[in-house]
Amino acid sequence: MRLLSFPSLAILSLLWISAVRADHHVETVLDGLNNPCGVAIQPETGDVFVADSAAGKVVRVKDGKASDVIVEFPLGSYGKGPKFAIGPLGLLFLDKNTLVVGGGGAADGEELLSVFTIGDAGADAKKADAAEQTFKLEGKDELKGEGNFYALTRTETHVYVTCNGDDTKGWVARAAIKDGNRLENYERYLATKEATEVDAPVGIATSPDDASSKFIVVGQMGEINQEGDSLLTFYSEDKKMLLNLETGLNDITALAYSTKARGSRKQLYALDFSWLDTKQGGIFRLVDDGKGGVQAKKIAGLDKPTAMAFGADGVLYVTVIGTKEEGAEKEAGKLLKIAADSVDGEVAE
Amino acid sequence: MFRNIVAMWIVLNAAQTARIHAQDAYELKIPLGLKAMKLPADNPLTAAKISLGKQLYFDKRLSIDNTVSCASCHDPQKGWSNGTPFATGVRNQVGGRSAPSIINAGYQTRATFWDGRAAQTKRRSNNALEAQALGPIQNPIEMDMKLETLIPKLNKIEGYRKQFQAVFGTDATADGVAKAIASFERTVLSGNAPYDRYKAGDKDALSEAAQRGRRVFFNKANCSACHIGGNFTDNGYHNIGIGTDQDKPDPGRVAVSKLEGDTAAFKTPTLREIARSAPYMHDGRFKTLEEVVNFYDKGGIKNPQLDEELYPLKLSDQDKADLVVFLKEGLSSPEYPDTKPPKLPE
Repeated sequence: MRLLSFPSLAILSLLWISAVRADHHVETVLDGLNNPCGVAIQPETGDVFVADSAAGKVVRVKDGKASDVIVEFPLGSYGKGPKFAIGPLGLLFLDKNTLVVGGGGAADGEELLSVFTIGDAGADAKKADAAEQTFKLEGKDELKGEGNFYALTRTETHVYVTCNGDDTKGWVARAAIKDGNRLENYERYLATKEATEVDAPVGIATSPDDASSKFIVVGQMGEINQEGDSLLTFYSEDKKMLLNLETGLNDITALAYSTKARGSRKQLYALDFSWLDTKQGGIFRLVDDGKGGVQAKKIAGLDKPTAMAFGADGVLYVTVIGTKEEGAEKEAGKLLKIAADSVDGEVAE
Repeated sequence: MFRNIVAMWIVLNAAQTARIHAQDAYELKIPLGLKAMKLPADNPLTAAKISLGKQLYFDKRLSIDNTVSCASCHDPQKGWSNGTPFATGVRNQVGGRSAPSIINAGYQTRATFWDGRAAQTKRRSNNALEAQALGPIQNPIEMDMKLETLIPKLNKIEGYRKQFQAVFGTDATADGVAKAIASFERTVLSGNAPYDRYKAGDKDALSEAAQRGRRVFFNKANCSACHIGGNFTDNGYHNIGIGTDQDKPDPGRVAVSKLEGDTAAFKTPTLREIARSAPYMHDGRFKTLEEVVNFYDKGGIKNPQLDEELYPLKLSDQDKADLVVFLKEGLSSPEYPDTKPPKLPE
């Protein structure tokens, strides 16, 4: 645990101490998804895009209905029991018509970060091999090939990607944004496991626009068979670790700052998959505990949550894998929506 | 009458003074390379408590037939393990797993035992060692001592009863036994090894072979996927295949977590002082580190839950030799906690 004084105070001030309570309201937007693992909001239209991962496709969700946007991503699996089929993972828009997709179905070193130009609603679906750009992080010398590009986030100049190839390093990779809608120089950037000595960067976010300094915040998932070991780690853009906090959460899968300020600040939220006991999983607001640490306040219990994105209106969209009932034909994955005023609440403990 | 009251006051005051003295905080000296240790809020370290815990740790009277102590299986002379594949308890009963080293056990704050069944009582309580301490005492194969027998037995030993009074303000209790033993175990530390000094900037601290081995460890051999951090463990549970080649495989962590992926998974042990704590693996099947390295080089033993970090490494003979040098030379501290048994109370 590293605690650094100056940046800590500035960052912790972004973790609002909240006593506000409200009834949370979780609404199902779309069900029948197959291990959805990524979600992004399209600029200008506000349409929600979901990585329907085990179906090997990215879909647009409009008026509660899904339409294929990109199909035929390769499939792989994650976990040892339970095992989950996965294909496309993290999603991120560079602009209205440019979507970046992190792959999860190929072998480490062969995995692709792909940039697609997408059409308007109603356009024919593209195939996964029709990307405008693709990038790999291949193994070389002592560097292992990278894969499972879980989550994507961006600043004005770069896209950041959490990876799960080299388990000795725990890389966050990044690519520079070129001309607003293209990427270049995709490279290993932050060795988070070396820095924190805890496994696997998964969730990632960048500083909100109301922050006094720029930073990248990574959710270090920890061991999936160990409870309470997820970390929240802040880095400066020059790779310096600013703050490393225990969260008490089991397995952070996503981080996001709210798009609307609540109180005086935009808030940081985390999803906890909680492999060991999925009943403990859910969405949590991460608040300053007043003692230099962080406290996770539960907003709602969720069944294997994987990704989240805030709309410009403050509405939060979350994907969950869910639990398929025995004999059910429909897959259990869902896209959920939590109203802006509900995101501010918390579950009574 | 007055003299009796004064005498009683003096006795009570002396007891109170002794108790206050026994509460003096103990400052744990953390060696180079290890982090600050997280302690349970309800069990602060004191010198008197550690001393009491040390006596209990080495005392065979904690077993049903006065033949086995904690130190019998976690012996400072044998890397705080016992030098044999399996631990032997009372009546020469042999257990099914090797005795893990106590070295740096204080960093196992969330769960202990090979399968992690002794867990902290709530998040961030950091009291897994307290949860563990009474387990072997009661285990019928290890010390076979019921607590309802142990506690009166300890209270009949005046030296113990007085110490429990001074430390905890009560006669001996099961809670006190656990807290005292856990406190002593937190002082069994190994750091400031050549690796730590090398990492801190002393480039002569490791031989050339050990430096090469260090590079293999953290890269090509993938060891640091699990053996990471100051204590060289992720404190997680991994299936490397050991035991899956047996007719009745030890279920390992799955017995606790109920997650299929934890089948035959066991806790990652520290590698500190690894040269002293042979034999290796939870079933003690390997006598030498050379055998261990060869096992990992082959990618473990294939089975449905084999950890994804296990795969054929294709290490050269030089890589293997250097890796063993690093493990032996780099992680052995000149300040090894060579603790001697204390004088036990009567």
